[in-house]
Amino acid sequence: MNHVSSIAPKRWLPRSMATRIYLIIFIGLMLAQGLSFAVMLHERYQSATATMFDTVEHEVATSVAMLDRLPVSERAGALSLLERDNYRFVLGHGQPGALLTSKRSWGLVHRIEKEVGPGYRVKADSISTQPERYQVHFTLRDGSPLTLVVMPHGVPPVAQWLPMVLVLQLILLLVCTWLAVRLATRPLAQLAHAAETMAPTADGPRMSEEGPAEVAQAAVAFNTMQERIARHLKERLHILASISHDLQTPITRMRLRAESLDDGEERQKILRDLHEMEHLVREGVAYARSAHGGAEVPVRMDVKAFLESLVFDYQDIGKPVTLAESIGGAAMVRRQALRRVLGNLIDNALKYGGTAEVSAWRSKDGGMCMAVCDRGPGIPEDQLEQVLQPFYRLEGSRSRDTGGTGLGLAIAAQLTRAIGGNLQLSNREGGGLAVMVTLSE
Amino acid sequence: MDHVDNILVVDDDREIRTGVMEYLRKNGLRASAAVDGRDMFAQLDTSAFDLVVLDIMMPGDDGLVLCRTLRSGKHRALPVLLLTARDDETDRIIGLEMGADDYVVKPFSPRELLARIKAVIRRTRMLPPNLRITETTDVLSFGRWRLDTTARHLLDEEGTIVPLSGAEFRLLRVFLDHPQRVLSRDQLLNLTQGRDAELFDRSIDLLVSRLRTRLEDNAKEQSYIKTVRSEGYVFSMPITLPGDGA
Repeated sequence: MNHVSSIAPKRWLPRSMATRIYLIIFIGLMLAQGLSFAVMLHERYQSATATMFDTVEHEVATSVAMLDRLPVSERAGALSLLERDNYRFVLGHGQPGALLTSKRSWGLVHRIEKEVGPGYRVKADSISTQPERYQVHFTLRDGSPLTLVVMPHGVPPVAQWLPMVLVLQLILLLVCTWLAVRLATRPLAQLAHAAETMAPTADGPRMSEEGPAEVAQAAVAFNTMQERIARHLKERLHILASISHDLQTPITRMRLRAESLDDGEERQKILRDLHEMEHLVREGVAYARSAHGGAEVPVRMDVKAFLESLVFDYQDIGKPVTLAESIGGAAMVRRQALRRVLGNLIDNALKYGGTAEVSAWRSKDGGMCMAVCDRGPGIPEDQLEQVLQPFYRLEGSRSRDTGGTGLGLAIAAQLTRAIGGNLQLSNREGGGLAVMVTLSE
Repeated sequence: MDHVDNILVVDDDREIRTGVMEYLRKNGLRASAAVDGRDMFAQLDTSAFDLVVLDIMMPGDDGLVLCRTLRSGKHRALPVLLLTARDDETDRIIGLEMGADDYVVKPFSPRELLARIKAVIRRTRMLPPNLRITETTDVLSFGRWRLDTTARHLLDEEGTIVPLSGAEFRLLRVFLDHPQRVLSRDQLLNLTQGRDAELFDRSIDLLVSRLRTRLEDNAKEQSYIKTVRSEGYVFSMPITLPGDGA
């Protein structure tokens, strides 16, 4: 249980690797960008504060000392001279205030307290936080109160063009990340596609061996593997074809010899066996060749005439084969391969079902579908795939007695694949087998 | 005394050669054998033969080459039956294009071979000598159709292939070999019998009607095959042989 859950992909992760890499790189770059922006803002704030308040305590101390020494009547007149854009002096207690909150204000108050020296009983309070305003209270030596109202500038606002630059940067990041991810994952997709469409018998399309070193290396490895598989299969089919082919001459000789025997039961038996061998040899050659059915050049052909000619050939030798439904018009088809496929399916239907019914129609996507149906015993559901294997025989099948080689359906299936089609078996409602061949246009 | 057909068997396999020869002799024919092409031409020069059975797979000049050589020399009228090792339409087409009259696939039964030999000889004899030329021509044109006699299908004006069943092809072939001649149902049946002669039991009327459908021959106008009341049928469309000019 644990094992399974640990292998199962995490649900919140996106499925595709491209998206994952994209997200990781993008989030990382965004964080880094955000961090450097924050650091920059902080630095701006720091330097703004420093330039503003570095010298303020000296001025304040000087002003306080000066006011202290002025006669009371002249103090009010001097206030305006001492005013700066970020502070001013007020005679009296000022406004009622609250406790100082900002660290910066505390720092300034401490520096002022230190600078003015003892004896002024420095106190401070805040009157507003937005915008920041606070007061520093002094008591002059004659006992009259003096209040300093500090109005610090905020951090200077960021320039108007800055958000634009940020958006531009973001777009640049998006594009670069996308390009990088594409570069990294596209070869993988190509490899998967090549593996999927690989036709081991035909000399399938080779992967392009261009591109970055790692990709080129993978492509070369894939191409080599494909070649090796193709060579291996070719060799096996070649052996099968050679054996089948070389058996033809001895079988012909034996037939001739059997003909010279006296007409009797023994001769009949030999002829029957020879007939069986002959059939097997032909089917063996046909199977070996069926893998190369895709090499045939497609021709433009009248579909209805094709199906009728096929069915009529059977009818003319007295076989119950009918054409139930056909389509008009012409199609590009590999005619010999298709003829062999349908012929094998009809033979199969006749052998097990006694009759065969051929039909053809257009699929929704414009492809061509053909079916051969019988009313025989059908095939158990769990063996529908296996019967397409060469020499596979159903349990209790009497195909040996009926002269089957076990290759008919295998040839049909392999040939259909070789011409880019699809062959499917199903049991019919009411009994019997239906074999459907689908060809994409 | 009646003429006894003389067959020349050319095969590099000694046992097949002699076996076929003996089988043919046992069945009332005369037969000789040749090992290769040179032997074959030597024998053709010394005695008269009615048909050559030629194996395709032979060392040296193979059957296809020999067949072509035969067709281009003084023995061009001699019927040739090919023995091919592969049951493949491409091989058959190449064989027929090389000028062979028919083919038998190995391994064959001697009976089948004998039946084919007889059918080819009969077919060749039935044709008037001036029409034998169609035996080796590839494509015959008539009306809006062309018949590819080696691939055995029709082609329409756009080059779309219209396949024919075996019986349809044989019937059309008979009509094209005997144009403008009234053929009775018996004659047609006799001439149309092919390799499955013993099993062929379709009535000629049905076949003619199928062929008309295939040629899109309107039953009322009958521009291709005309019915001649109480006599039979006649193929009335003029035929163009390749080389007759456009």
